[in-house]
Amino acid sequence: MSVDIEPERIAAMLRQFEVERFLYDEAALLDARRFEQWLELFTDDARYFMPIRRTRTRDDLEREFTQPGEMAFFDDTKGTLARRVNKLATGRSWSEDPPSRTRHLITNVRVVEVRGDELDVESNFHLYRTRLKSEETSWIGSRRDTLRRLDGTFRIARRTILLEQTVLLSSNLSNFF
Amino acid sequence: MALELEHANDLVSLTSGELDRRMFSDADIFEQEIVEIFGRAWLFLCHESQIPKTGDFLESVMGRDNVLVVRQKDGTIKGLLNTCSHRGNAVCRAEEGNARSFLCTYHGWSYGIDGRLIGVPGHKAFYGSKLDKAEHGLREIAQLAVYRGFIFGTHDSAAPPLEEYLGATGRLGITLLAARGDMVVVPGIQKFIIPCNWKFAVDNLFDWYHPQVTHASAFNPAVIPPAPKPAEQPARVQIDMAGVHTQSGEEIGVPVTEITGTDFDQMVLVGEYGHAIGGPRVGATISRTASSEHHWRSEPDAQDALGPIGIDVDGHPSIFPTVWITTSAQLSLRIPRGPMQTEVWWFTFVDRNATPEERRRQLRRGHLLFGPAGLLEQDDGENWAQSTMQTSGLASGRIPQLLTMGLGQGKLVKEHGLARIEGTTSEHGQLWTYHAWAQWMRGLSWNDLRAATEPGDIL
Repeated sequence: MSVDIEPERIAAMLRQFEVERFLYDEAALLDARRFEQWLELFTDDARYFMPIRRTRTRDDLEREFTQPGEMAFFDDTKGTLARRVNKLATGRSWSEDPPSRTRHLITNVRVVEVRGDELDVESNFHLYRTRLKSEETSWIGSRRDTLRRLDGTFRIARRTILLEQTVLLSSNLSNFF
Repeated sequence: MALELEHANDLVSLTSGELDRRMFSDADIFEQEIVEIFGRAWLFLCHESQIPKTGDFLESVMGRDNVLVVRQKDGTIKGLLNTCSHRGNAVCRAEEGNARSFLCTYHGWSYGIDGRLIGVPGHKAFYGSKLDKAEHGLREIAQLAVYRGFIFGTHDSAAPPLEEYLGATGRLGITLLAARGDMVVVPGIQKFIIPCNWKFAVDNLFDWYHPQVTHASAFNPAVIPPAPKPAEQPARVQIDMAGVHTQSGEEIGVPVTEITGTDFDQMVLVGEYGHAIGGPRVGATISRTASSEHHWRSEPDAQDALGPIGIDVDGHPSIFPTVWITTSAQLSLRIPRGPMQTEVWWFTFVDRNATPEERRRQLRRGHLLFGPAGLLEQDDGENWAQSTMQTSGLASGRIPQLLTMGLGQGKLVKEHGLARIEGTTSEHGQLWTYHAWAQWMRGLSWNDLRAATEPGDIL
């Protein structure tokens, strides 16, 4: 028996599968603390941006998040991300030694736009971290990624991380999202 | 109730350089700080550039009071307690924005941006028009004043004028940021919470002893590349590290940076009410780097504003109790939320006339060095949190906190209204802050407090 599915739907399913597998593999690298390999997933022109969120009234919501060119929690290029990764590799990065225990849960993956070799992908995340005896942090939010097809897989050309927090309810951001 | 004279002075000793660790976790002492320090001192609220237009507001914090800092129609600024005069509800839930009025969403009392009560549902029907609206506006804070664009407020109507409170040391601290240009705050205050006592966060700003160890990873050349060196550089004395090893027995090595080194010329300025500045002298920084970060100091306006001593200060100013002004033109506010919880706010400044490239560099510095993700600050919080936690131990809390580095060797030179100590890295700035803290906690009159925090001859 043959199932009659339009080729575009097959292509969309395949794309969804590839994107999800890429994001899950990426999360696995972070939780395994394989940061050098994780860094290789970014394009050379990548931007990694986590704006600051502010409680504002409903009619003022377009200014809820800060924009590029304003202050943010992260506003990194691949070069500055590399410096963060190098810091963790020094063996003197005390806020990650003993290392945090992290688990990245990536869900609600949606390909929202396809432009030739680039895909805009939204996903939700729960980054759970514990440190030392009883320090516990939960960061929940969404990511808007621009993925670029390269050599049969993807590279991250842009990642914007939107946290569901205004005042950051943690003492630092020594982990990647 | 204020701590008794003997008791307050027992907690901090200028002669032994020792502190009683209970001051970092004791709940009663914290409550007393809320009254004696945060109920009286001039506290930084925000910068004028953050509320440029009529109705612009920003919610700031004074102790445990939430304060709406609001630009008025006539261009002045008011500080209004964010609590309805009826039953106490907050009349504004946004952290910043622009308002035509403030509405209490409980029963509908409505206030103008000047705080006047302008609408009460059922004023005729339920109150029989007997409620006097003029008496029930939003309460203004006791005093609000602006110095070089920096807005401060105090709960104490008897507090001396802001400029007098700041004194020469506090004014210099602000000028070191304000004189860099037409400085404005970049949108976006980084806010985050550290489970530590606020005094650990304040103390650390004077601490030029910790960077080479706390920030050893950041000062790796692959993380923060060293500044370019001038052709001729004075010889550098390495810090002695005999016996310093990691848990696995490795030598930890001292990264060579521009802010560490025993030969480094430092200057500590101490002032009335507990303000202080501590860190390198400009001459020392410039002799070791080819950095152009100091070009603003050669402007005649900046030279006039800084004066002959200030022009050579490249350290960290502290405006007592909770403001740190960085050499990177940022301001860090340490808001006490509990004996073991502090909220940190980072304000980043840039010259309104900066070129796009200068602005980009300033933001990059702000994003990379400080704030919760900062290559430097990432590693600070856990030190303060763990230090705070141990002070609550019965036996651990009885161990004195040591601030003895350079104790008794700091000769105070008093010139141009400033009292300064020159030398190598010391703990004079911290010790001065704690000494002033103890005087504040005694609940003295303003005159007596000023006299008790007048710098002596030796520290």
